[in-house]
Amino acid sequence: MILFTRRVWGFRLVDVIGVGLLIALILSVYLAKTFAGRERGEIARVEAEIATEHNRVRLLQAEVAHLERPDRIEHLSSTYLGLGPVKTTQEISPEALSSVLSAKPTAVKEGRL
Amino acid sequence: MSFTLQSLPIPNWRWIKDLVWRIEHAFERARAAGRAEDDTRLRIFVVLAIFSIAFVVLAAGAAKMVIFPDVSRIEAVGREGGLDRADLVDRNGAVLALDLEHYGLYLEPHDIWDVGETRRALLAALPDLQAARLDHALNSKHRSFLVGGLTPTAKAQIHDLGLPGVSFEPEQKRIYPLGSTAAHVIGFTDTGGLGLEGAEAAFNDEIRKTADPRTPFALSVDLRIQAALEDELTKAAQEFHPLGAVGVVTNVKTGEVLGMASWPSFDPNHPGQATDDQKLNRAASAVYEMGSTFKAFTVAIGLDTGVATPDSTFDARVPFHLGYRTIHDYHAAKKILSLVEVFQHSSNIGTARLAEQIGPKRLSQYFIALGLTRPAKIELKESAMPLIPHKWDDDAVASTSFGHGIDVSPLALSRAMGALLNGGTLVPLTIHKLPADAKVAGPRVVSEKTSQQMLQIMRANVTGGSGGKADVPGLSVGGKTGTGEKYIKALGGYSQTQQVSSFAAVFPTDGDAKTDRYFVLILLDEPHGNAATGGFSTGGWVAAPAAGRVIDRVSPFLHVQRQANLASLVAQTKPANPGDER
Repeated sequence: MILFTRRVWGFRLVDVIGVGLLIALILSVYLAKTFAGRERGEIARVEAEIATEHNRVRLLQAEVAHLERPDRIEHLSSTYLGLGPVKTTQEISPEALSSVLSAKPTAVKEGRL
Repeated sequence: MSFTLQSLPIPNWRWIKDLVWRIEHAFERARAAGRAEDDTRLRIFVVLAIFSIAFVVLAAGAAKMVIFPDVSRIEAVGREGGLDRADLVDRNGAVLALDLEHYGLYLEPHDIWDVGETRRALLAALPDLQAARLDHALNSKHRSFLVGGLTPTAKAQIHDLGLPGVSFEPEQKRIYPLGSTAAHVIGFTDTGGLGLEGAEAAFNDEIRKTADPRTPFALSVDLRIQAALEDELTKAAQEFHPLGAVGVVTNVKTGEVLGMASWPSFDPNHPGQATDDQKLNRAASAVYEMGSTFKAFTVAIGLDTGVATPDSTFDARVPFHLGYRTIHDYHAAKKILSLVEVFQHSSNIGTARLAEQIGPKRLSQYFIALGLTRPAKIELKESAMPLIPHKWDDDAVASTSFGHGIDVSPLALSRAMGALLNGGTLVPLTIHKLPADAKVAGPRVVSEKTSQQMLQIMRANVTGGSGGKADVPGLSVGGKTGTGEKYIKALGGYSQTQQVSSFAAVFPTDGDAKTDRYFVLILLDEPHGNAATGGFSTGGWVAAPAAGRVIDRVSPFLHVQRQANLASLVAQTKPANPGDER
């Protein structure tokens, strides 16, 4: 068992290897924790950013809903565009179109239909 | 101390020395015995290897966590945002209410350098802040809450002042972006996030449990229908100056409330600024003597019991005596009327004669089965208990047959009417959106045949009766007017001038029992007639036109096809006596 009998700088090889492994493990754990800490900070920052953006999205949703209030839209559309609810006379199914056009040729001619 | 040491037994270290010696020379002994596997150093090596493997596994795990973090965990934390209550949306997903992050302002008096400067700055930045409240917080010995509900902008403005001792903490505030639209359906919460009225109170627990913006809580109302209903109701209220007004739109098959409006309304963002009258949901919390809309129930009961058919005749030539009452017709036809004509002319005499034939027992049983003697079955906590006769005798029959002597809420009326019009089953009303393929069960109260007959009779009332002003070109609208005189306690009787005028409509009336149908109720409490109505303030004059306009506006949203028959659009049938019936 050369591993246990051979000596390097006065120490048995197995001890040197053990210490080397231990140092490597300590270093790797340190590095892992350091990287993890850095990542945690980044994650926290992104999380905060997501939360902020999420709040902004919700605020914008509320503002959109407020601006799209039916009474407000109706007031604006009637005041500035002269629009109103669709009347029955402004509505026709494609199937009925031909019969109505044939029944009202003068209206079509005059552009009323 | 020395006593204690002396009293302790002296450990025998000899066995430890022997153990160390054995371990130290185990290798030599094992080699001498030719059993290398007993070498202690080999065991030490194995232990070392096990520990090394464990450390490598741990290191690999740590590295994995760094390189491949749990994305779903981060996402969940970022999105939830600590909501108190789920968003409320209408049946199409339009936002009705949501929690938004606001800020509470806190004062730490010990950290404040210049009290006077802090006081001046805060009062300038927060004009609504009471000076006494600020002084109390400034003179407090502890950190104290000063004001809540600050918007991010307001918080940033105060933060930028750089005042020591002023800090902020995030808090959720319930916001109703639509203002007064659908206020009575949505309701409101207190500052602690507890639902107090409307859907907020009715579904308080569910809304709290599902407090996740990804799963909003959907109500049954359709914002487009709600808006049209409120608009027409407000216009009617502005025209006829009632004490209050109610509008309801329901799906008679599912019981879903698609629109519910109560006038006057309020802004749920500031419920404290509204009066009790404004906050009162008249559709659910108020009860009225509905008047002639109740004749629909009496006629339906007459048909369902077999007491009458649409062709049965009733003598309305002279006033009718039943119980202690002598019953007159508001517009006396003074002739023998068929059942359909009784309905079209809204004849009190004809209806009372029919009710007499039905009898108190059967009439009361049907009223109970129709849910008219209990609060409307709906999730709203404010659903009001009706006022019903103490005893079902001839007097009660005479009164209730045409809607007197029984006070019900508009929602209770809507539910019972739905049962007459949906094929005959009494389904509960709901303000919660149901799945598209939901089949709502309920007890049968009238036969399918009776339901179909009622649809035809109500349609006849619009094409040739008192509900003519609710007719909509291209649609088959049916309905019944109602004008209930109000009982005035001071007078000890019914007022001739104060009325509850209503119109109960259904559309479309054509199609079989499986056709989707919708019920619309417009009710005005003490409306005032004007020149345009000839001074009349009856249901046919003040409520029917509004109901017609609502139907005209909402039918496209409900995919009820308007028949574009130009001939029928041009030639409107004039009702027999439009509007001025009771």
